[in-house]
Amino acid sequence: MNIFSLDWYLIAIIMFVGFYCMLASRSIVRQLIGLEIISKAAMLTVISAGALSNNLIYAQALLITMIVIEVVVVATGLALLVKNFRLHGSADIWTLSSLKG
Amino acid sequence: MDKGLLAYLLIPLLSAVIIPFAARTRPKMADILANVTLLAGLANLLWLALRPSMIAGGFADIPGDGLSLLLVAAVYLVGLCVTFFSAYFIEEGLPNRPAYYSLLLVSVAAMTGVVTTTDFFTLYVFIEVLAVTSFALITTDDSSAGIEGALKYFFLTFPASVLIIVGIAILMMTLGSLSYENLRLFMASDAPAGPVTFASALIMLGFIVKSGVVPFHTWTPDAYQGAYAPVSAHLAGIVTKISGVYAIIKLATLLRFFDGRAQALSEMLMFLGMLSIAVGALAALKQTNFKRMLAFSSISQIGYIVLAAGLGTPLAIMGAVFHLINHATFKTVLFLNSASLEKSTGTTDMDKLGGMEHSMPWTSWTSIVALLSTAGVPPLSGFWSKLLIILALWESGLRVYAVLALLFSIVTLAYFMMMQKKVFFGKKTPASERVQEVSAPLLAPVVLMSAIIVALGLLFPYFYAYVKVVAERIIL
Repeated sequence: MNIFSLDWYLIAIIMFVGFYCMLASRSIVRQLIGLEIISKAAMLTVISAGALSNNLIYAQALLITMIVIEVVVVATGLALLVKNFRLHGSADIWTLSSLKG
Repeated sequence: MDKGLLAYLLIPLLSAVIIPFAARTRPKMADILANVTLLAGLANLLWLALRPSMIAGGFADIPGDGLSLLLVAAVYLVGLCVTFFSAYFIEEGLPNRPAYYSLLLVSVAAMTGVVTTTDFFTLYVFIEVLAVTSFALITTDDSSAGIEGALKYFFLTFPASVLIIVGIAILMMTLGSLSYENLRLFMASDAPAGPVTFASALIMLGFIVKSGVVPFHTWTPDAYQGAYAPVSAHLAGIVTKISGVYAIIKLATLLRFFDGRAQALSEMLMFLGMLSIAVGALAALKQTNFKRMLAFSSISQIGYIVLAAGLGTPLAIMGAVFHLINHATFKTVLFLNSASLEKSTGTTDMDKLGGMEHSMPWTSWTSIVALLSTAGVPPLSGFWSKLLIILALWESGLRVYAVLALLFSIVTLAYFMMMQKKVFFGKKTPASERVQEVSAPLLAPVVLMSAIIVALGLLFPYFYAYVKVVAERIIL
């Protein structure tokens, strides 16, 4: 077993932890944390793929851009959470059920 | 990046930066700047594509692959209709008026970026920019429904970005590059395609989630129904098409579905397309909210595009591109009409409305044009795109899909007729007493779009020549 297959095992475990965090919790904040963990695992795949194909510089360039993009997306998500909390006074995902049909 | 079209990305971005400063003391400046930017861009594009020498030459001198130019024009057209409508729709007191226009222009710029880029990483960057602006735009009026829709949109489409990132990583490892051209060359060679197809399938799955194809469609109705009224026209008309469906069509041509190198992926995509035609149409039949019904109809129409993209023959790609444009026109009309209804009656619940055809004749008639086009009634543009898709399916021997696609277009007509009967025909209900037609500026974008629907239907041979050039360039 070489170092790279170890990488990918680790990525799979982190991704599983993230999905478990999303499935097991009712709070929107914890759901967002779960999403963050999943997306960190995805970023590890990029750097691992870069190392594996001797293309580390390219992978680093991509990764830094991805981190910046992700910060923006997560900031927007947090803003939505705050707006929702101010409106409903709770962060429970199951209260979001007024739109259905 | 297609450098010839770079200006269409940068100028709205520049306007978006200028608007908050220019509109600090005079809020109306924001409306004017946004409209002028998009109108100038659209006029420029029309001259580029429709000048007499270009039409006479059969569109042979179109820059780039033609698809980018066509979709940039569609983005600007829908963007202009939405900003013009918003200028008269927004209440005077709305505090974040400049921010609203800035976000709309950034969203137009991001969509231009999506359709002009030539590698997967830039595609990912622009898709995320587009998603961020959409989250913010949905919650423009800070309503409870808007925030709920935006949160669902956020939570259910964020995992799509993860799939796209993993796909990009594996593509980098197996192909060594992320450009479209390399993928096309690789798929045209004889090398074993397994890992590259797997990476492309992951990327495609991400875009399937983002476009709301059926197993992943749950966010679509909530986001469209909850969104601020003109924004739902923007989202349904163009944003989800560009952020999801465009990339699916692009991948379908890059993976060369027509020569069977990614057979399993192609079949899977066609199955999902058919499923979303069926589920979208059947769910739309039993909706009572106008906007929610339009959202399910949107899912169903996206199904046609995905079905055609999954088939991947030149005729099917022509049908898919044409249906993408048609969908942008008729869904914008219907959503803007729902916004007009909301403004004059205060509700979009179809059970509370009725007999609006006498008090709102223009809204009623433009809705009829748009719904007949969606259902594929002959002289209108929707007929030609559905005809191309069904012909392509029949020609490839997929008779079952062809027949089902035809049958569900009758279901489309059925649910739209039910909507028209409930909202516009019949007796007046208490909610629709003393309702006035909305003012002329609010009708102008809708009438323009309806005129385009009729014109595209009647001038189909010219448009066919254009789409044929596009299909030849992106497939060969």
